[in-house]
Amino acid sequence: MDKLKLEILTPNGEIFNDEVISVVLPGKEGEFGVLAHHACLATLLEAGVIDIEKIDKTIESVLINWGMVQVDENKIIVLVEGAVAIRGESESAIAGALEEAKELISDIADANPAIAIVSSKIELAAQRLL
Amino acid sequence: MANLKDIQRQIKSVSNTQKTTRAMKLVSTAKLRRADELAKRSRLYATKMNQVIAEIAGRIKCNKVGGIDNRYFVEIENPKMVDIVFVTADKGLCGGFNIQTIKAVKKLLKEYKDENVKVRLRGIGKKGIEFFKYNEVELFDSVINLSSKPDKVRSDEFIATSIEDYKDGKIDGLHIIYNGFKNMMTQELHVMKLLPVDTKQFECGEAQNSVLEIEAQDEEHMLDSLVNKYVGFSMYYSLIDSVAAEHSARMQAMDTATNNASDMVRSLNVKFNKARQAAITTELIEIISGVESMK
Repeated sequence: MDKLKLEILTPNGEIFNDEVISVVLPGKEGEFGVLAHHACLATLLEAGVIDIEKIDKTIESVLINWGMVQVDENKIIVLVEGAVAIRGESESAIAGALEEAKELISDIADANPAIAIVSSKIELAAQRLL
Repeated sequence: MANLKDIQRQIKSVSNTQKTTRAMKLVSTAKLRRADELAKRSRLYATKMNQVIAEIAGRIKCNKVGGIDNRYFVEIENPKMVDIVFVTADKGLCGGFNIQTIKAVKKLLKEYKDENVKVRLRGIGKKGIEFFKYNEVELFDSVINLSSKPDKVRSDEFIATSIEDYKDGKIDGLHIIYNGFKNMMTQELHVMKLLPVDTKQFECGEAQNSVLEIEAQDEEHMLDSLVNKYVGFSMYYSLIDSVAAEHSARMQAMDTATNNASDMVRSLNVKFNKARQAAITTELIEIISGVESMK
């Protein structure tokens, strides 16, 4: 399977930097998936969840509040303002990340329905891990 | 004898100054650690952001993006008015930190004056503002207390004026000048050209053959918000970088001052001992010659 490199950066540091199989991004015009050899593209991201399919086929989710993405043939750079990765070794760590994610969502001053969808999505992502 | 007292007073005053400078050095070291931590975390983001913007700008320049004529990315011929934003510290006692920035601003001002371009000078930081006020250089606006306590909201508010004016065509360029942190010992002066996005470094090569698509219904809007974020973050990053540099400069200046003070105390001590010895000798001679004359 072809791989592509994904980097997710926030002003507070790097959240993700690894090779992945595919990524689903919450674009301004709707969600879109990116596989290797995708056409070059630049667009804005909305508040939402980035789903990352890693090399070992597990899925990791990262919650973001605003961002921009630049897709090159085999490289994706995602610059986001605020992000929380839903991951952790233990249950308590995951619960902590979830708590953080909820906080980030409440900070987003967007329309309410969108937030509701996002929060249900991260709940799902956390349940997958628990 | 008065001489001895004088020297003693001097020694005391110099060692008091030394105490102050040493304390200031310690304070700066502690603050530097915090400021550098903050800057370090953002550094990667800032670099990548510059990279991405430069690439988009470069592709627009090389016409790899179909028919976009965006004011942010196209070099403006015959600019009439430009904004220069400079960041200095609110406080002094940090060596050549502020004057370096001021010199760079003056140089750029002169360059634009020679080209007959009007400049709006916007200042952040008390020291630079005071300098230009004293030299009767007109400032368009100025803020204090922002460079010592970088705050994203206030920095966004400040730079928004420039972005708006650029968009409306009131100004044709935007520069930020600040002194950034390189390492504990050195600062690095940055003169950044933010608007229009600098595309000089980007060469239209074979490597970027594929066409960049901008996926949005409204390209203009997308580039607008992209540039907004880019300029906003660059402003904020220059503030936090400048704080780190300020503390490192102050730490160094205060370290030198402390060393100078101890050198001074040492030489004053020698002077004091010599003067004391001279006084004793004079006294002895007086007694001896008194006794001699009694004989």
